[in-house]
Amino acid sequence: MSVETHNSPWLRNGAYAAMAVAIAVFPLLISNTFHIHLAQTLLYTTIAVIGLNLLLGLSGQMSMGQAGFYAIGAYGSALLTAKLDWPIAAAMIAGIALAGVAGCLVGLVALRTRGLYLAMATLAFGFMVEIATQRWVDLTGGTMGVYGIPGLDFGSSTMGKTYYLWVVGAVYLAVQIASDYVMNSRIRRNLLALKENESAARTAGINVPAWRTVVFAVSSLAAGTAGAFFTHQNAYINSDAFTLNLTLTMLIATVIGGLGTSYGPLIGTLITLMIAELIASLYDVSFMINGFILLTVLLLFPQGAIGLVQQAGKFLFGRTGAGPETPTAMPDRPVALPAAPPSNGPTLVVENLTKRYGGVVAVRDVSLSIERGTVHALIGPNGAGKSTLINCVSGLYRADSGCILLNGRDVTGLPAHARAHMGLARTFQNLQLVSSLTVMENVQLGIRSNRSIVGDFSSWLLSSSFEAEERARALALLQQFGMAHLAAARPEDLPYGHRKLAELARAIAEEPAVMLLDEPVAGLNDREAQEIADVIRRIRDSGTSILLVEHNMEFVMKLADRVTVLDYGERIAQGAPEQVQKDPRVVEAYLGGSLEQSAGKLEAAS
Amino acid sequence: MSAANFVQLLLSGLAMGAIYALTATGLFIAHLATTRLNFGQGDFLMFAAYLSMALLLAGVPVLLVMVVVLVVLALMGWGLERFAIRPLDRMRALVGGQYSWVLTTMGVALIIQNVVTLLWGKSSQYSPPLFSANRQNVVQVFGAGVFVEELLVIVAALAVILLFYALLYRTRQGRAIYAVAFSPDTAALLGIDVRRTVVLVFVMASVLAAISGVLVGPIVTVQPHMGLVFTVKAFAVASLGGFANPLGVLVGAILFGVAESFSNYVNSAFGDLYPLLLVMALLVIKPSGLFGEAKTDVR
Repeated sequence: MSVETHNSPWLRNGAYAAMAVAIAVFPLLISNTFHIHLAQTLLYTTIAVIGLNLLLGLSGQMSMGQAGFYAIGAYGSALLTAKLDWPIAAAMIAGIALAGVAGCLVGLVALRTRGLYLAMATLAFGFMVEIATQRWVDLTGGTMGVYGIPGLDFGSSTMGKTYYLWVVGAVYLAVQIASDYVMNSRIRRNLLALKENESAARTAGINVPAWRTVVFAVSSLAAGTAGAFFTHQNAYINSDAFTLNLTLTMLIATVIGGLGTSYGPLIGTLITLMIAELIASLYDVSFMINGFILLTVLLLFPQGAIGLVQQAGKFLFGRTGAGPETPTAMPDRPVALPAAPPSNGPTLVVENLTKRYGGVVAVRDVSLSIERGTVHALIGPNGAGKSTLINCVSGLYRADSGCILLNGRDVTGLPAHARAHMGLARTFQNLQLVSSLTVMENVQLGIRSNRSIVGDFSSWLLSSSFEAEERARALALLQQFGMAHLAAARPEDLPYGHRKLAELARAIAEEPAVMLLDEPVAGLNDREAQEIADVIRRIRDSGTSILLVEHNMEFVMKLADRVTVLDYGERIAQGAPEQVQKDPRVVEAYLGGSLEQSAGKLEAAS
Repeated sequence: MSAANFVQLLLSGLAMGAIYALTATGLFIAHLATTRLNFGQGDFLMFAAYLSMALLLAGVPVLLVMVVVLVVLALMGWGLERFAIRPLDRMRALVGGQYSWVLTTMGVALIIQNVVTLLWGKSSQYSPPLFSANRQNVVQVFGAGVFVEELLVIVAALAVILLFYALLYRTRQGRAIYAVAFSPDTAALLGIDVRRTVVLVFVMASVLAAISGVLVGPIVTVQPHMGLVFTVKAFAVASLGGFANPLGVLVGAILFGVAESFSNYVNSAFGDLYPLLLVMALLVIKPSGLFGEAKTDVR
C-alpha cells in the first residue's frame, strides 16, 4: 500500500519491459505445454482479479457475481465464433462488451443502493447466469457445452499456444499498466475517499454514484475479458466452469495477494493457481479447502502476500523509503492564496429555504445573502437548524422549498459534487478526513486538475514530474499552517487541532468562491482558535465568502461581518454583530428569557 | 388453469413463502443489530434439513429431532459469530476490506457444504414428513387436493414468526436489540451487554434457519447445493422489506413465494428466475423496499 510519491517512470517502465521480455521468451524456453497452459491461465485470470481488486480494494464495493460476467464474456465470444462464424477478435470484443453492458445494468443497483445490497444483487446475478448456462440448453448447450470454438492460435498448431500466450500477455500488461496508473493517480485518492467517507467525497466534488458505477462496469469488463480468453484457450466450454466457486476463487486471489496493491492480483492469482494444482487430487474436499483458505487469509493474514512482504522488509531493513519526505528548502513566507473569481453582487444567496424531517420543520423560510469577501456567521442554540441549513446549502440534503443561488446561478437542484465544482467548499463539524490517505493526499483531494485522463496518464507514464505541481501546491498550503512536516502522516496520527487545519487546507485547495465552515474551532484551545481566525481572515481577504457556523461567541463577534441568528429553525435576527448581540429576541433565545423576567421569576420563587 | 390447480399453486407458494420469511427474518435480525449477516444462511438451512432428515430416518421422534437440530444450529450460530465474524473487529481499520465478513461467512458455508457432501453424498434425497403419515397425504380444500404437510408448514412457520415478533417487540431483550441497532456505544452506556446481544442475534438467525430447514425438508428435495438458492431468495425477500421492516419481510416473502409458484407453473424452465429479476428491478426503482422510506444518512 505504500505508493511512492516521486514518480520514477524509467524504473517502472524498465520493469514493464522486463515483464514483456519474460512473457515473450517464456513459451520459447519452456517446452512443457501444460506449463504454458498454466501461464496463459495465470495471465487472463489476473486480468479479472485486477478488476476485482480495483472494485473491492479501492472503491470498497463487494461483488459476488464476477463469475457471471466471466460467463457472459465466455459464452458471448464462444457462440459468436462457433455458431455465427465471427472472426475471433470481433467475437471477443463483442463478448467483453456484453459483459460490460451487464455490468452497467447490475451497476444500476450499485448506483441506487450501497454496500450490502450490491453484494446481494451480484450474488443473485451470478446465480441467475449460472442457472441460465445450465438450463438454457438451446443456447448454451447446458452441461454438454458449446463445441467447435476456434482456438486463438492464428492457424498454427505448433506455435498456437505461444501466440496465445503473447496475445494474453500483451493484454495483461496493458491492464496492469492501467491499474498501476489508477493506483498512483487522483483516481485512487477519489476512490478511497468515496469508499471511506461519502459525504466528504461529495462535497469535495466527486460524483460518487458515477464513480461507483464506472468502477463496477470496469470490473465486469475485466471479468468478461478473462472469460473471452478462457473460451478461446480451451475451444470448448460448458456450464460447470461458471459457478459461485469461480467467483470465490477470484475473491480469494484478490485478498490473498494483498487488497488494493498493484501486484497483489498477479501474486494472488499465482498462489491460488498453485494451491489449485496442489489439491487437484483432493477433489472431494476442495470446497472445504477453499473455505479454510478464505477464513485463514482473512482472519490471520488480511494484509495478504504483498503486505506480508512489506512487513518483513520493514522488519529486516527498518523503515524504508515509502512515503514522501519533506523538502527542506521551502519558502518561509505564506504563499499567496488564489483570488476568487470576481463577480457582481452576493456570491451566495439563500432564499426562503425550508427543510422538514417528517413532521418536524428543521429550517423554516430562512433567507440570507453573503457578499463577496465577507464572513457571515450563522449562530443559534443547539438544534436551531444551523447544520441542516449548511447541509442544504452544500447539497448533502435536498431542501423542501426555497432556492439557493451561487454566483447568481440557481443550484437548488444540483447535487453536492456539482456545487463543489461551481465553487462551494466546506468543512465538517465532526472531521471528515480520509484515514487511508496521507495528510497531503487529503489536501490533494481538493485540488482540481484540468488535465484530461489521457494527459494525466501519459504524464504518469513518461514524466518524472507527474503531479509535481499539485504536490507542491498541497505542500505549500500545509506549510502555511506549519504542517509541512506532517504531510506524510496519516490523519489519525495527528492531534485534533492539526486535523481541523488539514480539513481547512483541503477546502482552501478547492479555490472556492464560498466556503462553509461548520464549527471550525469547536474543541480547540484559544491559541489554536486564534490560528484558525487568522486563516479565515486571510481566506476572506483573498475574496472568498465564508459562511461560518460556530458556538464560540467571542470568535464569531471578532470575525463576522454579518450575523444571522436561528432559533427553532427560524431566523430571529440578522445584522452587524453589535446590533445582533443587543437584540432582545437573541438574548431570550440564548438565555431562555430576558434578564428581567429571570430575575422576576427568582423573586417570585423566594 | 382450473380452480383446484389455483388453490394448489397458491398453497405451495404460501408454504415456500413462509419458509422464505423465516430464513429472511434471520438475515434481517442479524443485519439490524450488527449491519452484518450470514452469507451462508441458506447453507445453515440446508444443513438443518439434512440433519433432521438423518435423524427422522434413524427413527428419532419428531419433537426430539426438532430440539436436537435447534440446539446444534444455535451452537453453529454462536460459533459463526465467535470465530468467523468477531475476530474481524480486532483488526486495525479492516485491512481485508470492510466486507471481510461476507467472505468469512461464505467460507464457513463452503465448509458446511463439503461436510454435508462427505456425510450424505451429492445426490438429491427425500426427507420423511414431519406431521403426516406420508409425503403424499392429501386433504380436500375448496375441492382441491392439498398436501397436509404444506398446510402444516404454513401454520408452523407463521406461528414461529409471530412468536419472534412478540419477542422482538414485547420483551426487554427485543428492545435491547433495537438499542444496539441504533448505536452499540449508547446501548453499552445504558447497561446493555452489547456482545451478548450480538451473539444472540446470530444464534437467533441460525435458529430461524434451523426451523426453516426442518420444515422445508419434507416439501422439497434435499441436496447439498440447495443452500445458495435459499440464501439468494432470502436476500431478495429481506430487501423487499428494506432490511428495516419485519412486516415488509413477511409480506415480501409471501408475495415472492406465491409469485414463484405461479411463475414456475407458467414456465417450468426459468420460472424461478422471474421473481428474482422482478425484485432486482424493484430495488433499482425503490431501493428502500416495499414499505421503506428513502432514507439518507449524512452528518
